[in-house]
Amino acid sequence: MKQFAIHVLIIGVLNFNAYATGYSPVVVFAGSASQPPLEEAAKAFEEKTKIPIVLHQGGSGAILSQIRLTGQGDLYIPGSPDYMDKALEFNLVAGTPTTIAYLVPALIVAKGNPLKIQRLADLRRKDLRIGIADPDGVCVGLYAIEILKANDLLDKVRPNLKGMVESCAKAAAMIPLNQVDVVIGWREFAAWRPDTMDAIILKKAEIPRLAYIPGALLIGAKNPEGAKAFLAYLTSREGQSIFQKWGYLTNESDARKFAPEALIGRTFSPPEVW
Amino acid sequence: MLHRDTAFKISMLLPLCLLLVYFLLLISSQASFFSLAAFFEQLSSGDLRSAVALSLFAATISSSLAIVIAIPSAYALARIHFPGKQFIDTFIDLPMILTPIALGTLILMSWNTSMGRLLSNFGITLPFTVAGVVLAQFTVIVAISIRMLKSTFEQINPRHEQVARLLGCTAFGSFRHVTLPLAKRGIMAAIILTWARAIGEFGATVMVAGTAKGQTATLPSSIYLAMSTADLPKAVALMVILIGISLLVLFGVRVVLEHKS
Repeated sequence: MKQFAIHVLIIGVLNFNAYATGYSPVVVFAGSASQPPLEEAAKAFEEKTKIPIVLHQGGSGAILSQIRLTGQGDLYIPGSPDYMDKALEFNLVAGTPTTIAYLVPALIVAKGNPLKIQRLADLRRKDLRIGIADPDGVCVGLYAIEILKANDLLDKVRPNLKGMVESCAKAAAMIPLNQVDVVIGWREFAAWRPDTMDAIILKKAEIPRLAYIPGALLIGAKNPEGAKAFLAYLTSREGQSIFQKWGYLTNESDARKFAPEALIGRTFSPPEVW
Repeated sequence: MLHRDTAFKISMLLPLCLLLVYFLLLISSQASFFSLAAFFEQLSSGDLRSAVALSLFAATISSSLAIVIAIPSAYALARIHFPGKQFIDTFIDLPMILTPIALGTLILMSWNTSMGRLLSNFGITLPFTVAGVVLAQFTVIVAISIRMLKSTFEQINPRHEQVARLLGCTAFGSFRHVTLPLAKRGIMAAIILTWARAIGEFGATVMVAGTAKGQTATLPSSIYLAMSTADLPKAVALMVILIGISLLVLFGVRVVLEHKS
C-alpha cells in the first residue's frame, strides 16, 4: 500500500515537469467542434517536430473566458468565426485569423435514419423530438435558428424542440444517447461517430450560411514561433488531410458545393423571441 | 411487539434497498454502451494512466490539505468563542453554495489581480497546472470537511477535555490525547468523503486547470472529453475505471481503518 502511494506521488510530481522535453510547449485553446482531428493533428505535429502541444478543449465561449482571465495560451481555435470575432473585439488575438476547415449545417440522425427523416420540412412532424445547441451561446444553435427562420419553419418546428444544450459537442451526443431524434448540427458530427450517426444533407437553398473553424495566435503567446508552426501545420497538406479524414471540408469551393449562395461566417442576429 | 420491531426494521431497510436498486440501475444503464474493446483500449492508453495518476495524486493531496486545515478550523468553530463567529461559520459555507464552475472562475479571477500577475512574473502560476487541479479540488472540498468535523467535535462532551485539564493536561495536550482520539471516526469519515468528492470533482478543475490530456486532464475531465466527441463507449469505459478505482480505494481505506480500530 505504501509503495503504491509513493508510486502515485512520484507520477503526480512528474506531472509538474511534464513539459521538460527540451522544447517549449504550444498551449492551444480549442472549441470542441474540431476536437477529433485536432487531437490527431497535435499528435502528428509532436512526433514530427518534438514540440509538445497542450490542448485545452471545451465550449468556445468558456475557453475564451479562460483566456481573458488568465492571459494564457498561444493559439485560439474556436468552433466558429463568431467567437473569433469576440476574441478580436477583446484584443486577445495577434494578426489575422486563418481558416482551418469549413462546417456545413445538416440534420443529424441515428444510424440508418430509423424515423425516415428526409428533408428539413420533416421537422414539422409531431412525432419528432428535435435537439439544438443554445442559440444564445453556441454558434451551431444560432445557425439552427437561422435555418429554421430562413425556411419559414421556426414557428412550426418550435413545439418539437425538446433538447437544448450548451455546446455543439453535447448537441452531437444527444443522438447516441437517444435524447432526441434529430439534431440540427454540423454535417461533420456524423463523421465523428459513423457507427452511431448519419447526416442528412440539406437542400442547397435551405442553407443560408456556412461556418468555418478559424485559428489565430494569441496576443499573450509565450511560444509564438511554435504556435505559428502548429497553425501552419494545420493548414498544410498534411494537416488538412487529417481534417479531411474526419469528414471536414478544407477548402471553400468544396463547402460552396453544399450551398453556393450561402454566406460564410459573419453573425446572424436571432429574433428576440424565437 | 416482535411484529412492530420487524416492521420498524423493514421501514428503515426499505429506503436503503430502494436507493441501492436505484444506484445499481444507474450503473447498469452503462451496459448497453459498454464495449470491451474500448475498455481494453483505454486500459493501455498513456493518457488514461496519466489521468488516473493525476486524479489519485490530486485527490490525495487536496483532501490531505483540506483535513489539515479543517481539523483546527472545525475545532475553533465548535469550541472557541470569538467575535464574528456566526458570520465566519456561515461564510466558510460559501464553496458549498457556489457551483464548482463559479468557484473555478473566482480562482481564475484571483489570478488576474495584481498579486496574481506578480506571482506569475516570478514563474509561480496556477492556471492550467497540476497545482491548479489541487487548488480547485481543495477549494471545493474544504468546507465539506470543516462542516463534518465541526459536527464531530460538537458531539464530543467538553467535560472530557475539562477533566483532562483538571488532571494537568495543557489545552493542546487535552486536544491531542482526548479530543482527537474521540473524534477519530468522524475524522476518518471526513477523509473518505472529501477524498471521494475530490476525485470526482469536475467543474472547478476544468475551469482552473483545463483539459490537457497527459497534463491536467483528470478522469472526470477525460470522461467529459470523450462525451464531447459523442464517443460513448470510451466515456463508459472511463466511467467504469473511475468507479472501479474509487470503490477499491474507499473500500480498502475502510477495511484498513476498521482493522486498526
